[in-house]
Amino acid sequence: MRRQRRGLMLLCALFSILLVAAACSSSKKSNTSASTSSGSSSSQAVPDGGELVIGAEQEPDCTDWIDQCAGSSWGTWMAGVTTLPRAYDVVLNGDKYEYKPSILLTGEAQLTTSPKQVVTYHINPQAKWSDGQPITSHDFKYTWDQIAHGTNIYDRSGYDHVESVDDSDPATAVVTFSSPYAAWKGNLFSVQFGVLPSHLLEGKDRDALMKDGYDWSGGPWTFKWEKGTSITLTPNPNYWGPKPHLTKVTFNFVTDTSAEFQAFKTGQVDAIYPQPQPDVIDQINAGLPDTNKSITDFTGNLEALWMNNAAPPLDDVKVRQAIGFIVDRDALVQRLFGSVGVNNPMQTFEENVLKDFGDTTAFAQYKKDLTKSDQLLTSAGYTKGSDGIYAKNGQKLSLTVQSTAGNKRRELTEQILQDQFKQGGIDLTVDNHKSGDLFGQILPGGNFQLAIYAQVLTAFDPTLCNLFCIKNIPSAANGNSGNNWTRTNIPEADKQYTIVDENLDDNARMTAGKAGDKALADQMGSLPLDPLPNMLLWHTKVLGPVGQNAIMGPFFNLEQWGIQH
Amino acid sequence: MLTFVARRILYSIPVLLIASFLLFFFVRLTFDPLPPNLANSKDPHAKQEFLESHGLNDPIPVQYGRWLGGVVHGDLGASDQTHEDVLSAVERSMGRTIQLLFYGSLVSAILAIIVGVYSAVRQYSIGDYVLTGISYIGIAMPPFWFGLIAIEFFAFRLKGWLGTADPPLYSLGLHSGGESGFNLDYLRHLALPVATLCVQIVASWSRYQRASMLDVLGADYVRTARAKGLPRRTVIFKHAMRNGLIPLVTVMALDIGALFGGLIITEKIFSIPGMGSLFFNALLQGDAKMLEGWFLVVATCIILFNLLADVAYGLLDPRIRLA
Repeated sequence: MRRQRRGLMLLCALFSILLVAAACSSSKKSNTSASTSSGSSSSQAVPDGGELVIGAEQEPDCTDWIDQCAGSSWGTWMAGVTTLPRAYDVVLNGDKYEYKPSILLTGEAQLTTSPKQVVTYHINPQAKWSDGQPITSHDFKYTWDQIAHGTNIYDRSGYDHVESVDDSDPATAVVTFSSPYAAWKGNLFSVQFGVLPSHLLEGKDRDALMKDGYDWSGGPWTFKWEKGTSITLTPNPNYWGPKPHLTKVTFNFVTDTSAEFQAFKTGQVDAIYPQPQPDVIDQINAGLPDTNKSITDFTGNLEALWMNNAAPPLDDVKVRQAIGFIVDRDALVQRLFGSVGVNNPMQTFEENVLKDFGDTTAFAQYKKDLTKSDQLLTSAGYTKGSDGIYAKNGQKLSLTVQSTAGNKRRELTEQILQDQFKQGGIDLTVDNHKSGDLFGQILPGGNFQLAIYAQVLTAFDPTLCNLFCIKNIPSAANGNSGNNWTRTNIPEADKQYTIVDENLDDNARMTAGKAGDKALADQMGSLPLDPLPNMLLWHTKVLGPVGQNAIMGPFFNLEQWGIQH
Repeated sequence: MLTFVARRILYSIPVLLIASFLLFFFVRLTFDPLPPNLANSKDPHAKQEFLESHGLNDPIPVQYGRWLGGVVHGDLGASDQTHEDVLSAVERSMGRTIQLLFYGSLVSAILAIIVGVYSAVRQYSIGDYVLTGISYIGIAMPPFWFGLIAIEFFAFRLKGWLGTADPPLYSLGLHSGGESGFNLDYLRHLALPVATLCVQIVASWSRYQRASMLDVLGADYVRTARAKGLPRRTVIFKHAMRNGLIPLVTVMALDIGALFGGLIITEKIFSIPGMGSLFFNALLQGDAKMLEGWFLVVATCIILFNLLADVAYGLLDPRIRLA
């Protein structure tokens, strides 16, 4: 018994020493991430063969791309863009994105505007589906018919402007519009929905045949969907374009950020495309071995502080303008993304890839200036209380900001804003909701004062009329549809953004867009905050023109990727 | 025995009905019955039409009755989010969870019995204290923390030290792309999630086993067996351990039943699309139909395993008459 007690005491002493040693030791971080570099891997020749595994943050709900359930960007990137033929690609040319006819067409589509707008697509005679059947104008007609007249369609924008599609010549699709529509290149038969095979789907239940995956293709890949686990791409043997180098690409669904980065670091996945969340940025800054990365704010994303112009006290333009001088957007962007090299706030509501259609200095006048904000609030009839918060007629200047629950970046933004608002004499409270409730009821119903959420481009075309034109304020007149949730009512902005929407001349659209931005900024319709950067990380063994595409996603040219053997 | 089982199954039916009604009621109260595409729609007529056509304006008991009628015919409905058949989704997810549970329980049981018996036989020895300490650390350790540390060490750092192209153990799913079946790849995928599952289970089960063995080792019949001159090994394994296993088997059955829906964290960390992931995603998306189906299946498993525990107890101990 004595021996056992001595033994036990020795053991306890040993543990204590170890604990003290651990507590006193210095924390040396060894840098295991010696090699990170930026840029694409395009210089090395791409060998044939090999398999790639990519971590996907989201599994699609369905693969019927035109149905309501197909809102997942990841789904489109993985299996939509890679299997559906489309009329136009959106490609980066220098520092600008531009439309380029895809290999589905023989060249640019012809546009005539008088008496009606007519677009004529000339189909590549080599274009065919994976079963060998040619892609014809009837496929264009079928696609239009399904989107314009079908049920549960995700988005009919553009297709509802089409009067008819003439398919009398199988090699030529002639699309006649009922009213002018400027965004035809981006929204029709392009990235979002592509062209569907009429010979396989017409007369049948399209949704039932597509929603759980399909084995046909008009692109370089076919895919197989193992629900819950992965989407696997294999080369389409009948593709008429450049054949993929890789023999297989597997998108593994990894929805947890830590697991995603662990899988990337251990080589279980060769590339990831994470959301710009704080923990993701921390992971990147902690270092990743043998990694190439592309982090850019030249994206189709924009996060803003949206103000309900109809809700008191924000119905007073001076209060809205004061907020513009209270919010330190430079500090906000620096805090969120400064460590990955994104430092500049947005100064227009046009996303960076569409900056030519906006005035990139419109909101630059709004920098932190508490003197100006004080002057504005005082002239609006507010007086500062002993607690530093402004009040008017016995009521404190108190605002509520709403956003999507569980989004760490937005929660961090709200915390920063709360502090800045307090300095400016406004009390800000946070009230977050599930995204379905926020976007389904609260925002459309106008039951908010301030909101934080992002605009993400799905087509390469300006859409500010959709957001700020008076006709798009939800009302009984438009069946409560319309996305002007902020109830912005600025006639000059309205006039200019309508020109952007309807005029077919890009130069006229750009001029009008700039004028619209200026009017919006002068009246402080809402406040753009930050560009959400896109972040693509890939292993150094991945070869080829790997890089970003703000509209089509980073996997649009997967057939050109390869892997080092 | 058969009468006992039949009676227990009969008693389980009202329990299941009450549980399923309560679950249905609270899910309906909590989540918007509209599918997400309509919840986001700005068309109030479309919303109203959907509610009318699907009977969602009816009183909840009426809706429950309709849902129950479908369940009896094997139809749990279709997911609001993906339109996928709920039963198919649950079956698929259950298959993956069962793999994890089976191997996790097997390894845990073996280790727990070894540790528990050793600790009991060598009570108050250094080995007993060490194993007791490790058990309490295991009970206290959050599984998500252990899982992430295990990945960091066994998948990442070990790969670097060994200089291999692939990590020795994987942290993503149950198979590599293109692989299937029971093979080395499968075992390398299974090792870390099973270890994460085992850490807490072994800790608590070994405590039960130790306590039970101590109780049995002090019994008169064991003293008699020793007095008769039987070898120590025979006394422990033939006479004592069999009786010592009875409480553990009961606890195992209860724990395993609860784990059918309780592996959320482990499945999330290791990206295993099992029942835990299915529940988590359905909850985030407010997918009421998926949640109702999920709850029903998990409640059934818990009741089933409770029954199994009682039956096992009666089978193992002939002194117990299952009446």
